[in-house]
Amino acid sequence: MHSESAAKVIFGWNAAWVSSFIFAAVYVMVITEKLNRAILALLGAGLMILAGVLTQEAAIRGVDFNTIGLLLGMMVIVGITGKCGVFQYLAIWSAKKVKARPIGVLFMLSIVTALLSALLDNVTTVLLIVPVTLLITEELKVKPYPYLLSEILFSNIGGTATLIGDPPNIMIGSSVGLTFNDFVFNLTPVILVVMAATLIPIFFLWRRELTATEAAMNRVMKFNEREAITDPRLLKQSLAVLAAVITGFVLAHSAAIQPATIAMFGAAFLLLLDNFHRGADEQARSVHHAFSEVEWVTLMFFLGLFILVHGLESSGVIARMAKELLEATGGDRNVTVIAVLWGSAILSAFIDNIPFVATMIPLIKSMAPAFGGDEGLLPLWWALSLGACLGGNGTLIGASANLVVAGMAERAGQPIRFLAYLKSSFLLMILSILLSHLYLWVRFL
Amino acid sequence: MTAKDLLNPHPVTITMEETFGGALEILLERHIRALPVLDSAGIYRGMFYLYDLWELLLPKAATIEGAITDLSFMPGSVEELREKVLEAGPRPVTQFLKDKEAPAIHPETSIKEAILMLYHHDGVLPVVEKKTRRFLGILTPWEILNRLRDKG
Amino acid sequence: MHAETTAGHVILGWSAAWVATVIFVAVYVMVVLEKLNRAILALLGAGLMILGGVLTQEAAVRGIDFNTIGLLLGMMVIVGITGKCGVFQFLAIWSAKKVRARPMGVLFMLSIVTGVLSAFLDNVTTVLLIVPVTLLITEELKVKPYPYLISEVLFSNIGGTATLIGDPPNIMIGSSVGLTFNDFVLHLTPAILLVMPATLIPIFLIWRKDLVTTEAAMEKVMRFNDREAITDLRLLKQSMFVLACVISGFILAHALHVEPATVAMFGAAVLLLLDNLGRSADEQSKNVHHAFAEVEWVTLIFFLGLFILVHGLEVSGVIAKMAQALLAATGGDRNVTVIAILWGSAILSAFIDNIPFVATMIPLIKSMASTFGGSHALLPLWWALSLGACLGGNGTLIGASANLVVAGMAERAGQPIRFMAYLKSCFLLMVLSVAVCHLYLWLRYL
Repeated sequence: MHSESAAKVIFGWNAAWVSSFIFAAVYVMVITEKLNRAILALLGAGLMILAGVLTQEAAIRGVDFNTIGLLLGMMVIVGITGKCGVFQYLAIWSAKKVKARPIGVLFMLSIVTALLSALLDNVTTVLLIVPVTLLITEELKVKPYPYLLSEILFSNIGGTATLIGDPPNIMIGSSVGLTFNDFVFNLTPVILVVMAATLIPIFFLWRRELTATEAAMNRVMKFNEREAITDPRLLKQSLAVLAAVITGFVLAHSAAIQPATIAMFGAAFLLLLDNFHRGADEQARSVHHAFSEVEWVTLMFFLGLFILVHGLESSGVIARMAKELLEATGGDRNVTVIAVLWGSAILSAFIDNIPFVATMIPLIKSMAPAFGGDEGLLPLWWALSLGACLGGNGTLIGASANLVVAGMAERAGQPIRFLAYLKSSFLLMILSILLSHLYLWVRFL
Repeated sequence: MTAKDLLNPHPVTITMEETFGGALEILLERHIRALPVLDSAGIYRGMFYLYDLWELLLPKAATIEGAITDLSFMPGSVEELREKVLEAGPRPVTQFLKDKEAPAIHPETSIKEAILMLYHHDGVLPVVEKKTRRFLGILTPWEILNRLRDKG
Repeated sequence: MHAETTAGHVILGWSAAWVATVIFVAVYVMVVLEKLNRAILALLGAGLMILGGVLTQEAAVRGIDFNTIGLLLGMMVIVGITGKCGVFQFLAIWSAKKVRARPMGVLFMLSIVTGVLSAFLDNVTTVLLIVPVTLLITEELKVKPYPYLISEVLFSNIGGTATLIGDPPNIMIGSSVGLTFNDFVLHLTPAILLVMPATLIPIFLIWRKDLVTTEAAMEKVMRFNDREAITDLRLLKQSMFVLACVISGFILAHALHVEPATVAMFGAAVLLLLDNLGRSADEQSKNVHHAFAEVEWVTLIFFLGLFILVHGLEVSGVIAKMAQALLAATGGDRNVTVIAILWGSAILSAFIDNIPFVATMIPLIKSMASTFGGSHALLPLWWALSLGACLGGNGTLIGASANLVVAGMAERAGQPIRFMAYLKSCFLLMVLSVAVCHLYLWLRYL
């Protein structure tokens, strides 16, 4: 990374102190959640520039546009795909496959959630699956709580499996240069084990309560999943583009093309297919709508965050933090891997994993010489990803998907309480980290 | 159960030749909020809503999308509004139709879907044949309420 | 600009210059045809530049002028929030009452308000705010809104030319050349102050007979309560404060070594902060999402794609070749080149979107620096490009986005503006304004 500092820090103060102060202030304010995180990150980034820690050009160089482009492209694609009803179809179809038996539905919806969030954003996945879940459980007259809880867990677990499943993976992949296939080979195996290991305790915890009458199951069996597809033409188009984009990710590395290009091109192509038969006015409205539905709050947060972290980096703070961490782990790589895994998991259960991962990436990168080059860092990246993504399952505030499900459950009159969630899920999270620990140890250490 | 089993097959309707003033008279007399407009072949051509009167009474700039959203700065009088109604009275009602405000449903539409549409539009749903758009009747909250009471 | 070589692996071993030119021309033609949304086209074209191997993704990102994008984004957020408080309606009604609601006076006042506002705000935003009030006032006055709307179209483009932040071409020129807010004020505002009366006088002569009304109608407008138009006094104070700070920031930016995008984005963040203090977390996230969702992403994404497309042309050497051709045509004489750019930009911008045109011209003019003795000698060329591209947009109904927006609103209000009717009166007014600029450039720089 460049070690540039904009020469003239305000009042002649020390760049490291100014940047640490701005960063810590933003971090604390983000954690207290009194103010929207996008506003805070943008203000912090502005202060980094205005205070002279970074020039505007240096700040822009610090932004990982590959991450932003990949997220933006996928958000547009998923936003358009979501409109055609295919995810509702999938949920209803899978529930009918198990004859609408409550525990079977729980398993199916959890697995569908995991698969979808491996390919889509976790928040989008639960936004699509939770409403159908509420519908089905209402018809079955069973309480939705175990379903929602399980979907939260599986959205975060499934998201860990691929490059595009969860923002931490996108950030790690993009900034380290790890490919879609690297993630599939190294993370998907352990995720399959974690899925099985999570389903079993869920089964034993709730198997007694999940019973429904024949009449109720029949009502669900009478659902017509085909009617759920609202736009078959759009369905074909969006599935074709989604398949092409994922194939693109798989082949990207050999063609020397980066994921952001594929996602943005895929988004442009889907917009083209969805719009070319419309009038000019309608096109402008439809394209504007597609972009206005993107989660700009998240993207702006990323933008600000990258600049904040770059400020820390160029003023030498990150390098010093890395040195401290190495000293604490005695410079032993395997100890560091395990420390990163458990540290990330526990922290991510309580704070947002995105700023945490954004800070950890340059920190781990700067350890390369200590551990014998980039190759030696690989297990650290997998530990960071597993810890940060799975750790989010630990508490109700651990990941955005958790909060979104909690919000929807509350509006549907089925609130999920912080402590009730903590009781069952924190242990399940610890279990998943133990399995990851085992996996990393057997395979890499 | 579908819309076919619920609809009111004989609502008050008007022809395409009806005037704006005539349509307003009918709305006021019958205390209803909407009138389906049919052509001579019985094809549904749109819904005349009380809503169309408000549009006439307001300045244009307040009724186009995203323009003026607040008229508190503008005084007004009943006389000036009445003048507008009298002026528009003889014009054919077809000039005032806003089809998009009243999505049509079909006889096969399920009762839950119809209730969902009433929930979102709080209006009067025209029921038309899917292919020909021949008018079959209307579905309003009253038909559904009546049916719920009968079964009880 | 970086003089980086191409990505090395152009697809199928074709020549980078040809691939880049074909992609660029195809996108340009499709944008002019307007069959497909321009944001989609620009993104697809940019994607093809990368997939075709003309640029790597990193080179493409380097080609994006984030200073322009950041400045536009920041200003859009600020103006979007400011627009909600009703201050612009207030201004329009207040100014109409200042001239006792006499039709001709109202026409002048609304035109000048439009000109001044669009010097500081985006032109489209300005007309979106002013046109509805105009329709309201002319309906009450029972005069035809046509001359008012035309004049507002003209003045939105004229006023926008006056400052760095008034119109996207100026933002692009300023950002990529490093011209400051003050440079634009010192060099372009005088020309615009000449163009404004030169446009108002013919408008007065053309429509003075048509614009008559009754005492009763004027009385109705005089009874408008302009204070009631302000819907949110707290937001008004906050947004005026931030807008003032941001504009002072632009003026002082150069001295403080801060770039306009930082000022605008920071201003947007501060205004969002002020507007959201005291709200709950849920309401905040809805509110912030809304503020960003209202941004004209179609325009910003178009810019994004366009910068990449132009960078593809540049990297593959096409721009340099075009510059040589232009220089050969003007005999390498700077003064001839200035005038050629002024009139060429004006005529072209009357028919095609000026943004892609200016995006292409910027690297082209830059590459002439060595011929004309350094970047300082290029100054008159930048002013000619800005004046031509911005004022040229007045020539036809499709010349600028603000024109189309006004036409769209007029149509929905049942007062359509026809292409030919517009052309008849406005093309000449545009030529007149460019002639005034010609004179100005000639007297001051040539």
